[in-house]
Amino acid sequence: MSERTNFGNGRRRFLHLSAGAGLAATGMLGALTRASAAEAVNLYTWSAGVDTVKRQLAEFQRKDGLAVKYNNLPFAQYREAMVTKFVGQAPIDVLWVSDGWLPEWADAGWVAPLDAYPQLLSYNADAQDFCNQSMRYKGRQYGLTYYTDYMAFLYDADKLAKAGIAAPPASWQELVDQSIKIKKAGLSEYPLMLSMARESWLIEFMSALVFSNGGRFVDDNGSVLMDDPKHGATGSLQWVVDAVNKHHILSPACVELGELNGFKSVASGNHAFALLPRYRIQALNDPRQSHVAGNIRQALMPAGSNGSHTTVAWMRMHAMSASAGANPARAANASRLIEAFGGKFNGQYAFQKAMFLDTGTAFGVKPLFNDTEVRAAYEKYGDFSMFQKQQNLARKKDVIARWFGEWDEVNGTAWQSAILGQSTVADALKRSADKWKSLAKQA
Amino acid sequence: MNVPVFRSRWLARHSVSASDQRSAMLLLSPMMAVLLAVAVFPVLYSLWTSLFDIKLTRMNNVSFVGLGNYVTTFRDPMFWAAVRRTAWFTVSAVVAIMVIATLMALLLNQEFRGRRILSTALLIPWAIPYVVDGLMWKWIYDSGYGALNGLLLQLGLIRHSVVWLGDTHKTLALICNAFVWKEVPLATILLLVTLKSVSPDLYAAARVDGANVWSRLFHVTLPAMRPGFMLVMIYEAMMAVRHFDLFFILTEGGPADASHVLSWHIYVETFRNLSFGTGAAIAYLLALATFGMSYAIIRLLGKRL
Amino acid sequence: MSSALLAKRFALLAGSVLMLIYVLAPIAWLLSSSLQREADITSIPPHWIPNPPTFASFKAIIDAGTGVTSTDGNASFVPSTAEYLLPALRNSLIVASAVVVLNLLVSIPAAYAMAKIRYVGRNMSVYFMLATRVIPDIALVVPFFLFVRKLGLLDNVGALIITYLAITIPFSVFMLLSYFESLPDELDKAARVDGCSRVQSLIKVFLPLAQPSLVAVIMFTFLTSWNEFLFALMFTQTAASQTVPIIVASFTSDFTTSFSFINAAGVVAIVPPVIIAVVFERYIVSGLSAGAVKG
Repeated sequence: MSERTNFGNGRRRFLHLSAGAGLAATGMLGALTRASAAEAVNLYTWSAGVDTVKRQLAEFQRKDGLAVKYNNLPFAQYREAMVTKFVGQAPIDVLWVSDGWLPEWADAGWVAPLDAYPQLLSYNADAQDFCNQSMRYKGRQYGLTYYTDYMAFLYDADKLAKAGIAAPPASWQELVDQSIKIKKAGLSEYPLMLSMARESWLIEFMSALVFSNGGRFVDDNGSVLMDDPKHGATGSLQWVVDAVNKHHILSPACVELGELNGFKSVASGNHAFALLPRYRIQALNDPRQSHVAGNIRQALMPAGSNGSHTTVAWMRMHAMSASAGANPARAANASRLIEAFGGKFNGQYAFQKAMFLDTGTAFGVKPLFNDTEVRAAYEKYGDFSMFQKQQNLARKKDVIARWFGEWDEVNGTAWQSAILGQSTVADALKRSADKWKSLAKQA
Repeated sequence: MNVPVFRSRWLARHSVSASDQRSAMLLLSPMMAVLLAVAVFPVLYSLWTSLFDIKLTRMNNVSFVGLGNYVTTFRDPMFWAAVRRTAWFTVSAVVAIMVIATLMALLLNQEFRGRRILSTALLIPWAIPYVVDGLMWKWIYDSGYGALNGLLLQLGLIRHSVVWLGDTHKTLALICNAFVWKEVPLATILLLVTLKSVSPDLYAAARVDGANVWSRLFHVTLPAMRPGFMLVMIYEAMMAVRHFDLFFILTEGGPADASHVLSWHIYVETFRNLSFGTGAAIAYLLALATFGMSYAIIRLLGKRL
Repeated sequence: MSSALLAKRFALLAGSVLMLIYVLAPIAWLLSSSLQREADITSIPPHWIPNPPTFASFKAIIDAGTGVTSTDGNASFVPSTAEYLLPALRNSLIVASAVVVLNLLVSIPAAYAMAKIRYVGRNMSVYFMLATRVIPDIALVVPFFLFVRKLGLLDNVGALIITYLAITIPFSVFMLLSYFESLPDELDKAARVDGCSRVQSLIKVFLPLAQPSLVAVIMFTFLTSWNEFLFALMFTQTAASQTVPIIVASFTSDFTTSFSFINAAGVVAIVPPVIIAVVFERYIVSGLSAGAVKG
């Protein structure tokens, strides 16, 4: 027996039944909160770069006159907190969205397309291609990018020099050879750092490996490629498995190592090579935070035999909530904030530049690469031309679909079980592929 | 027949006096008011939800499936694997907590100098928020620069760094250790409170009868602590079975699902797969099992009830 | 000194040392690392004793809270939400204290009734109370959120207070109930023969005797409210109501991450509960024994 039910009514009945008592006692508190939130734009971000955001907001509010209520939540729990708020219809106007969540949230009707605002779309000309692709879903655009970054290949120049290696590896095979040499020289027990712990970063690490090896998880039509021995993830996963179990250049503890602990491990001088988000270079070359300050350099992502120096890039954007989009007044206000923070403010990409100067996080808008301040700030700890060069070779994740979250769970576990030797590479990738196919079919 | 007569006959049949019933209702009313107003709605809502095929992404377009979500859950091998892991975790945690807390409570029940320092120190693990606690243990367990490997290496007990959390045979045990460490203070206090209510007359009588330390322990102290044991067992079992925070911070259910317990499974279903209906069904199955477990413990160890 | 006494003393000493190590070793590491420089924390082998020790992290917490931008450079990797830590401490204190007071007001009468009065529905009420706690919190988040939103209490500490009240009452009552049951019924009857009502009997006779378990309930309620994470995450969104666990969580996923800072924040987060513990512990450990019940 199945019946279409408007669930909202049943829910409301229950609410009224049991909330009556509590309502009386706490109604006063509620009224206070409601009144103050009436006119302001409700901005939701995760708790990163909060003081930069506040500073930019102060500037914006002074110039534009629009009131903004600023809310933030820890990044690791941002998605579930926002999902709960969407379901509970909390007042949200502008929010940060990560590329991986866009299809899910757009299909759920939680974020509004921005195609009705041509002044916002005009900034796309300045943005990198992978950003523009990531901001669009089913032909419509949902946000303006303010932050983008990519998985970088880093090496410790000091260790390489001590081992007598002239230049960083250009291929994954060369990486293995150099690592073995460094290990034999007693400079590092596990020369390569790779984070393979279950967390939101895992797909980025995997994608960097797969893309640079010339493979893909899925093709442009969304058909499965991951278990294809030639064009899929097989080569990359096998390489990782061998790195752990055959060459012993990668610690078996990589499956417990998250991005943060991995970064700290590199900072303590344990490794000669690492895959890490590019913005970590700043902290790694900071003597107050790192034992290897001054030695960490970026090189192009090693290429697989059929691959190239590609890497994966991720993108975060300012989006408008659907509830704001449905209300003309709120939508107009929201678009002003989105333009200021995702586009230009006072004729400059002020928000993106401020984030870069304060936190070292990169931007998707190409004009900022010509900014002298930006360049000067970066040159203090990194190679600016390498930064730009690698970014131009970055591509967006290919697994972004509405069911990405669910597939990611299975895929992550599959990779880990292969690395731990609990499963063969072929079996692991077959599990991932099957899961993708079954999820795609339900779509 | 009028209602007052019905009522007094009904009460009389249960040998309850009317004034007692009135007093009890009065004293219970604040608690019932709070629970009915706040706690009951979410509980019933979840039950209601579990009977529907609901995705969080389309809350207004759902279909009634009755027990369908439960059937799907029973057919899912991941569910049973999670049940196994949860059972292992819960039993190990409860046993460890009971043993350690009993020893500590017996120790703190003695009078000796410096006892206050001990009892204050005892409370510190309890006072740490799980977020900090999880990070601390994650760091201690880290294979590269963690304190555990550092200590063992310096003491010469191991020659190479050991993989701790990343070793699927050890993962659950290590999380259990972190959990037990944080729960022992409360368990100790609860047992200590029970110990305090044991009348010294019983000890005196036992001594007069010639019982030595061990005999007093086994025949007087431990039996008298039964209500405390029951309380601690129920509470800690309930906490262990539903514990979530450490699994989230330390391993996110990994590596390779080694720590993918029921509470994590519910979280993944509800907030990662956004399948609200099945998440609620699993939660309800867990709830039923928890309730059954508590009922069994109460029946086994309780005086009344 | 007899050998039995000596053996007992030794056993106590050994037991105490073991217990201290078990309980304090990880804390000592937490404290030690909060006093180290960021670069030293990830040293191999670990620096057990901070060398050189530094209060920079603690100073940064205070500076951030008072709005001073530190110029000694350590400020550059203070998390961007650092300034919310002290307000979060205030929020946590307000919430935890309110929950303790309200909880006692509600739980004590209920536990007394369940323990000492024969009434119809007694077993049911105990099971009902426990039943509200058997469902894992994750499944309750969305309905609780809807409820809180309907009340207009989003981003308000009131939401946390009523939620924590609901989740701590069942076990508080269960703990008190367990203790009251161990106190003899004769006390109650004697008091009522003397003309006390049930309520007076509760207040004048049982409460003074129940100090150890009252303190246990106070600590349990306080710490549960202090440490709770999931509901605080969902119901709060600005510093106006965010509590300590949320702010510390935000430190770990910021762009600049400093373990020494996070650990220092952890140490600071422990201080209020420990103060409460110190104030109240004597009522548990050194408290009245049931010997006072005689006569």
